[in-house]
Amino acid sequence: MSETNIGTSSGTQRARKQRKPKKSQIPYAILLTALIIAFGFYLGRGNNQLPVYWGFGIAFGYILQRSRFCFTAAFRDPCITGSTSVTRAVLVAVALSSVGFWAIKYASVLKEAETNLNMAGVSPIGLPLALGAVLFGIGMVIAGGCASGTLMRVGEGFLMQMLVLVFFIAGSAWGAHDMGFWGKFNENAPKIYLPDVFGWFGAILVQGIIIVLLYIAAAKWQEKKMGTME
Amino acid sequence: MAEFTLDCLGEACPVPLMKTEKKIGELSVGDVLVVSIDHSCAMKNVPEWARKQGHNVEIEEVDDGEWEIIIEKTK
Amino acid sequence: MKEFFIKLGDHPIYKKLLKEPLTYVTGAVLLAVFQIAHFNVFEKGWGVTSTFAVWGTWIYNALGGDASGWAYYAPEKMQKELYTSFLVDGGSIRNLGIIIGALAATLFASQFKIKKIKTLRQVVAAILGGLFMGYGARLANGCNIGALFTAIASFSLSGWVFGAFLLVGAFIGSKLLAKYFM
Repeated sequence: MSETNIGTSSGTQRARKQRKPKKSQIPYAILLTALIIAFGFYLGRGNNQLPVYWGFGIAFGYILQRSRFCFTAAFRDPCITGSTSVTRAVLVAVALSSVGFWAIKYASVLKEAETNLNMAGVSPIGLPLALGAVLFGIGMVIAGGCASGTLMRVGEGFLMQMLVLVFFIAGSAWGAHDMGFWGKFNENAPKIYLPDVFGWFGAILVQGIIIVLLYIAAAKWQEKKMGTME
Repeated sequence: MAEFTLDCLGEACPVPLMKTEKKIGELSVGDVLVVSIDHSCAMKNVPEWARKQGHNVEIEEVDDGEWEIIIEKTK
Repeated sequence: MKEFFIKLGDHPIYKKLLKEPLTYVTGAVLLAVFQIAHFNVFEKGWGVTSTFAVWGTWIYNALGGDASGWAYYAPEKMQKELYTSFLVDGGSIRNLGIIIGALAATLFASQFKIKKIKTLRQVVAAILGGLFMGYGARLANGCNIGALFTAIASFSLSGWVFGAFLLVGAFIGSKLLAKYFM
């Protein structure tokens, strides 16, 4: 949807409010870019990781804003309007990332590295996961954005999201405090890693099939709710 | 062929979309709804929703970071 | 000079590259590329919220609290987090980067605007939404990025389970929003 100026077929002839005198924020953008680079150099003094973290942060923020990518919308829009275009985009992101992660993890095993990356990013499945996900889902819809979305909107100048961020941080500390209690439920919770269950090739196959089936389900859902798969 | 306005300035997703959906439901065919928004995501998802519904949509950038979405109800 | 920037901003190529929104799928492809690169460099996927917990704890400690006894910070790796500082912590820098990256994108598009809070309803929504997300993210060990995007890409079944329960939460949230926050 890049076309932003499509005339209505009947041609809306209404008298429009005159656009305010044009301003350009591009000079500020250039200044900010210079500051971003300068800060990168500042972080790089004696540290070769921080500038990379900085670069990734900038890239993620930039991409999220430019494409209006929103993980919240992927789960919320099917509930509200029935639209699944963002949902399907998330499935695309997950599918592509899976291929890359698979390759990196498999390579680390082939090298017989002492510390292979098999269990990187693998979490236990227990009561805290389910409860946390439900709470998170409620919160993100009410607040109008998840973690990455809130940060992105703070950058856009959304004061409401700054307030969300403050309480997000407070809630996180509260959650960390209570992990002493919730952690007990994770002691016997299984960490299930798909290649352990299906083997390396089975894992990518199973994951691929899940993603394709969800994609089809999402398209069908939108067709049912909105009458178009587009 | 009346024209209506809807002020969604300062509202975050999905409020502009939900308000627009509700308002469009109240209008009759041929009416025009002008939605004012300043949320960059709503500037994408409100027109997208309206187009999927088959309405005529036009987006106008009225100021830096502020848009009017003009929706003509067609059905 | 001002004229030049206005003309530049109206140039079709400039608009295509820096102003008009990219499609969701383009965003998905770009995020996937950077996610994979991130995993390759740091041997861990992208995450956002564990840093929020650390920030919150720093503030708690600064206000006179003492978090060193929390079970959450018992592992040595987490203990270190308590005593590091913003400018040398990769997660903090990355989160700051997201804010600044989004700001840069908005400025290049000439679309920056301070969006004020208009109603009390928004304040209540922000407070409740923020607290729910913060608490929930700690329980689930991540947000839509860490517990969903990164977890699924890492072939952890927990990512799919998170997604399923997240959908339940989003459904409840949508109903609450329509009822109380419209």
